Amino acid sequence: MRQDLPDLACGVVLAAIGLFVASYAATHYELGSLRRMGPGLFPAVLGGVLLGLGLLIAIPAWGRGRQAGSVAWKDAIAVLAAILVFAAGLERGGLVPVTVATVLIASIAAPDRKVGWRLVLAFAVTLLSVLVFHFGLKMTIPLWPNLS
Amino acid sequence: MSGWEGFLHGLSVALQPGVLVYCVFGVVLGTFVGVLPGIGAMATISLLLPITYYLSPEAALIMLAGVYYGSQYGGAVASILLRLPGTPQSAVTTLDGYPLAQQGKAGVALFASMTSSFLGSMFGILVLIMLSGVLSRAATAFGAADYAAMMVLGLVAASTIGAKDPAKGFAMVVLGLILGCVGTDVNSGAQRFTFGQAELMDGVNLVALAMGLFGVAEVIANIQVAERGGVPRRVALRDLMPGREDIRRIPFPALRGASLGSFFGALPGTGSTISSFLAYAAERRISRRPEKFGHGAIEGVAGPEAANNAAAISAFVPTLTLGIPGDPIMALMLGALVIHGVQPGPLMLEARPDMFWGLIASFGIGNLLLLVLNLPLIGIWVSMLRIPFRWLFPAILVFVCLGVYSVRGSSFDIFAVALIGAIGYALSLARFNPALLLLGFVLGPLIETNLRRALLISRGDPLVFLERPISAVFVLAIALLLAMSLVQAIRRKAQRDRQR
Amino acid sequence: MNITRRAAFMGAAALALATPALAQDAAWPSKPLHGFVGFPAGSSPDLLARIVTEPLAARLGQPIVIENKPGAGGVIGIQQMLNAKDKEYTFGTTINGPMTTAPRLMPDLGYDVARDIAPVVLIATSPLVLVVSADFASDDLAGFVAAAGAEPEALSYGSVGKGSGAHLTAELFSDRAGVEMLHVPYTSYAEVTTAILGKEIDAGFMAPSAAMQYVEAGTLKILGITSQKPFDQAPGVPVMAGQAGLPADFRAELWNAFIAPAGTDAKIIETLNAEINTILADADVQKRLSDMGWQVAGGTAAELQQRIVEDTEIWGAVLDRIDAKN
Repeated sequence: MRQDLPDLACGVVLAAIGLFVASYAATHYELGSLRRMGPGLFPAVLGGVLLGLGLLIAIPAWGRGRQAGSVAWKDAIAVLAAILVFAAGLERGGLVPVTVATVLIASIAAPDRKVGWRLVLAFAVTLLSVLVFHFGLKMTIPLWPNLS
Repeated sequence: MSGWEGFLHGLSVALQPGVLVYCVFGVVLGTFVGVLPGIGAMATISLLLPITYYLSPEAALIMLAGVYYGSQYGGAVASILLRLPGTPQSAVTTLDGYPLAQQGKAGVALFASMTSSFLGSMFGILVLIMLSGVLSRAATAFGAADYAAMMVLGLVAASTIGAKDPAKGFAMVVLGLILGCVGTDVNSGAQRFTFGQAELMDGVNLVALAMGLFGVAEVIANIQVAERGGVPRRVALRDLMPGREDIRRIPFPALRGASLGSFFGALPGTGSTISSFLAYAAERRISRRPEKFGHGAIEGVAGPEAANNAAAISAFVPTLTLGIPGDPIMALMLGALVIHGVQPGPLMLEARPDMFWGLIASFGIGNLLLLVLNLPLIGIWVSMLRIPFRWLFPAILVFVCLGVYSVRGSSFDIFAVALIGAIGYALSLARFNPALLLLGFVLGPLIETNLRRALLISRGDPLVFLERPISAVFVLAIALLLAMSLVQAIRRKAQRDRQR
Repeated sequence: MNITRRAAFMGAAALALATPALAQDAAWPSKPLHGFVGFPAGSSPDLLARIVTEPLAARLGQPIVIENKPGAGGVIGIQQMLNAKDKEYTFGTTINGPMTTAPRLMPDLGYDVARDIAPVVLIATSPLVLVVSADFASDDLAGFVAAAGAEPEALSYGSVGKGSGAHLTAELFSDRAGVEMLHVPYTSYAEVTTAILGKEIDAGFMAPSAAMQYVEAGTLKILGITSQKPFDQAPGVPVMAGQAGLPADFRAELWNAFIAPAGTDAKIIETLNAEINTILADADVQKRLSDMGWQVAGGTAAELQQRIVEDTEIWGAVLDRIDAKN
């Protein structure tokens, strides 16, 4: 592989974001004049600049090799899934079950294959978060599922 | 009342047992919530606000302020040990604090951050005692054009931070600026890039952005590395305390940072954010070994930490004399005052010396307390690193999620953390600097409003940026900085060509 | 106060453990209420809301959580209130703008005042004062109008946002006085006063409380007030009506009201109206509000409804003029 893949990919994505922002702002929001700048002008200009910078990053990366670090796909998916479960479940599922689930899902990423420590950890983190957030900070989240 | 008389009077207020106890409570609580990832001063102060009804206004403000700067000490701990900054200021601290921790010098980094925070705040108090009158006028001297130019200077100076490739730095800043556009446009009330999501009308949540870009991305990147023993998690006792060489590197960066912080803090808006980034950029520029920055330079911790603590103090001048809060936390504290019937305004210094100088004196007392409290705790904080990472990271994730939720009770923001975390991980693979994104995000809306305002006031004449002396100086500095980076880039390219 | 607060927390904790069916049967209010405010914590509308909801919470026996959702002149607060899923427990306080002029100003407002919002009670009203720097060339309104009329946009003024009370009052004033001024939007009165002190802009209409300290300090001066009668919190300030070519019926007042999402049980609205009227009759509450430049109003929900209709008409005419200008 003769390309610097991470730079290439990020450069292209940034350029694409820039293009999208510039064209979206220009077509959806008023640009106004220099004297009365509309809501679209600032993002449109920024989008254009980002498009240029993205290309400036991507183009040199094409002809430049670099040892790309490996992507930790499994870890990334486990961690993000854990957060998503927490986000989706907090208000309906309640703090206790959601915390347990999040810890268990996140810990899939850990290399240690045993199960026992995960349960201990889930218990400890749940206890801590209930103590700090429910009793300490008096946050208004249900502890248990709302079954209606 | 002269500055010194005022300060002594303030000490007599702040040392009353009935006030002192709230100062202690505030700083201890602040440290605690600062260390916990996600929950910061904002959530804590909102929760404390109802309690302040039952306190004297002095005690209330001193307690809330204690939470505010106490959380900065605690926040530095989370930033250095776990790369979990809750604010843009502590994002700067991660730049060199976290590499130091990875090299087994977490104790040194924490020592540097705490001592320079202390030095910064003492310096800030001194400046206030001598120059409170001048500082209160600084804000009115600054117009929209000056603010816009100053913030652009901050962005340009910071873009050179920590990236070999300037294009990458600028790209992060611009991406941050774009993210800052999301939400309701102040000038026209138009909804921008909200795509019909009511949760986006207030813009992207800053805490969600910081936690996703840093915390979540770092967790993903670290799970395998930490388990393979790539990061030294065991710390020998002798690494806890800094050596003479380390200590020597603290005072001067701290003083320089504190001067920057004292000045910029007096300008309402984002004085403390700008000053910590500028302090970092300045240290890197004057250092004889700039290549060390980003890889564990003690100066890169000391300068910004001193700057943001000094700025936190001078920021109380515009907050109390003009009623313009520097950030949402300051706004909450103003609210606490007005609840007690204390109107901020130009007469505040003379009409309420108890309040103003009591607060300033409490800063001195509180910071001393924090130093005494936190130095012995360094050992305990560092021993957190001995916990195997697989025990730590699920807990971090849960706390990040809960912390983000606590800001405004929105599950949407937790979803945002997941998305931002994925982006942050991708960016870290390509070695982009997320601190710059955060800076652009915070300054973007301010730059835009002030730019638009300046052009409106000048009736559309762009020359206003050169006609106003303050803004002209900033514009000149921007031009110089850009020219310098350009020259450097050309020289580097010439060097490479010659080597070929 | 202390006891009811603690009781409230215990009640809430008990509720979290209780079964949902039971919770729905419990008498209203059985859990904390949420009050949306479209302005940041510490701002005048926020403090007004807190002054009223603090005793209200005590009377209802449940805490009221203030949700500050600032932006777009208070519109975001209402949008967020309507988006909240917890009906019967979600309320808001709002200034007049989002209830009267916002539908005209913002095409994608996201709500219809008549259809989506149930008025509860008018809390308080406030006139505005016209403020200039202490070294402004003239000491009276006639001089100001003469200076502003020299040429279009000879003078500029600050407001707290497009469509805000300050903006519309200034435009109403310009219309009646026959002048054209340049409008520069800011986000708070504090920013406007700072900009006047820094000579960035010439003038601004603002709440009397925002200007009084500067007047005492001798850095700003007040040229007139928009109420029909002199106002206690702005002693010695002349009434604008009838001066400098302004008609005798010139009047511009902001107000602040307690509202609920439409569809909220009529009994609950009645309860709230009665409780808040009782609170507004309290001398201490009146003093706290007047210290901030507000005059206590009160009255029935229907009266608030009528006020909304009337003001929508008055300000609609001002907006027609602004539209015609651009």
